[in-house]
Amino acid sequence: MAAAALSAKDRENNNTGNSLIQWLSRISYYGFMIVLSCFYFYPMIWLVLSSFRENRDIFTSPFKFPDHINFQNWVDAWKIGHISTYATNSVIVTSLTVIFILLFASMAAFSFSKLRFRGSNGLLMLFVIGLFMPLQSFFIAQSYIFDRLNLKDSYMGLILPYIGVGLPLAVFLLKSFLDSIPKDLIEASRIDGCNDRILFTRIILPLLGPGLATVAIFSSLNAWNELLLAMLYIQNDDLKTLPVGLLAFSSRYVTNYKLLFSALSLITIPMILAYVFFHKHIVSGLTEGSLK
Amino acid sequence: MIRKKHKFSISPYLFVAPSVLLFSLTILVPILLTFAFSFYDWNGFGKMNFIGFDNYARAFHDRIYLLSYWHIFIYIILTVILEVFCGLILAGLITMNRRGSGLFRIAFFTPVMLPMIVVSYLWKFVYNSDFGLLNAVLNSVGLESWTRVWLGDPKFAIYAVTFVSGWVYAGYYMTIFYAGIQRIPNDMYESAYLDGATNWDIFFKIKIPMIRDLVDVAIMLCVLGGFQAFDLFYVMTNGGPYNSTEIVTTYVVKVVFNNMSIGYGSALAVIMSIVIAFIGILTNKLKKKDSGSLEY
Repeated sequence: MAAAALSAKDRENNNTGNSLIQWLSRISYYGFMIVLSCFYFYPMIWLVLSSFRENRDIFTSPFKFPDHINFQNWVDAWKIGHISTYATNSVIVTSLTVIFILLFASMAAFSFSKLRFRGSNGLLMLFVIGLFMPLQSFFIAQSYIFDRLNLKDSYMGLILPYIGVGLPLAVFLLKSFLDSIPKDLIEASRIDGCNDRILFTRIILPLLGPGLATVAIFSSLNAWNELLLAMLYIQNDDLKTLPVGLLAFSSRYVTNYKLLFSALSLITIPMILAYVFFHKHIVSGLTEGSLK
Repeated sequence: MIRKKHKFSISPYLFVAPSVLLFSLTILVPILLTFAFSFYDWNGFGKMNFIGFDNYARAFHDRIYLLSYWHIFIYIILTVILEVFCGLILAGLITMNRRGSGLFRIAFFTPVMLPMIVVSYLWKFVYNSDFGLLNAVLNSVGLESWTRVWLGDPKFAIYAVTFVSGWVYAGYYMTIFYAGIQRIPNDMYESAYLDGATNWDIFFKIKIPMIRDLVDVAIMLCVLGGFQAFDLFYVMTNGGPYNSTEIVTTYVVKVVFNNMSIGYGSALAVIMSIVIAFIGILTNKLKKKDSGSLEY
């Protein structure tokens, strides 16, 4: 017992300098990381706290904790801001976009990766253009065409271009997933008499699960956040998606800051909740997406 | 069972048809049509006058258009530093195997999940000169002289907007690098520690060299993504004050809508597309040239 205590003390004496440095480095590490986390979190917390204040308090006491947590501002913003309408539109547009991207891109990726056909390289090259070109390189003529086809002010007017914009990345991602599936598997199912359609629905689609999840995360974030095309193609207030709705909301209530803060909080919270529940999938989806 | 080797089959084409058709109709045809529009003087309603390359000649003398390339250049250089470089440092910090680093990782990634429109408004409020958080913080620590109308000051506006981009995406690149660092085998660290390496040595001599290819990819994504920037600039400053934050994408939108010059706007869009394609090819070449044998 005594010997043990002594040796522990010895060790401590021997390592005083070393452990002091370790202690300092730990303190500075946590100090730095906590300051940095505040820098990341505080603006978001400030946003939510401000949404509980009165307009006057937002100006006079920006740091003070609100006197009471009153959701009246949120209720007002939700009601007069049509946020439920915008959110419904966003859900409709985003989900249909994602479903079609998943279906079409997985079919194309299957064909590019596992079936041989003339012109496949050329077609694949076409999609490369879509990876890099910003919306501004085609929205002028697209807007003209959609005008002619009467697609503006309809869900289709947003869903079609969102699918078009989302397809290239989806096709490349899914193709690289399929490229890693061994050829033997395909050959074996062919010998068992699978035709292309059965091969796709019974063998390929189930294997693509993780790839489809990645694509779904990517394309839903993009469609959910898209601003420019939604702004150009939708004039009808009942069809606006959240980003455009918020833009309209803010130009209507320019100086009613408590309503603006409330509307922003309302829109942010579902995204944060989704992130809390699915963060492992979201993070791995986004990193895989950019690594492939 | 005899099977012909090169039997023509329609089914591969049926599988790619929906994607190719949709992509062509919504993206490729409009790109080509935009190119066609660029040779006309046209406001979208009236008569189209063919004027050849006049729109292009005008573009090369458009001071604001040329300035917008300078702004996007500043923006891209700074975002590579603020996003990729800071992301690398953050990745180094959270992989130091300290307790609780997972929490910090979540904290730094959270802004990526916020809708861009929310980020834009949030920071517009933070920068607000009357009630904004930034000036309030400066006042409370006795730096009153530093306070200013951040987004209204032509000298600072572009840096203020660029900084927000860094706030959002440093965590995103951190996560990419984190994933790469996780794949480095543990025994590399162990033998380095036995040789007396510090955390710094490990960061600079093991972690960074081992994820070198990811850093290249990240820089490429950052450069090409920079050209696509729009929402942040549109909502926070819309090019102002005095065109000091005008970037190529916001200017094209402005020309088409405020001035109703479809033809001229198309020419600006075509030039932009050519510049992006050129830079895309260039970065791809550079990447291929120096990429080592590391493969993930």
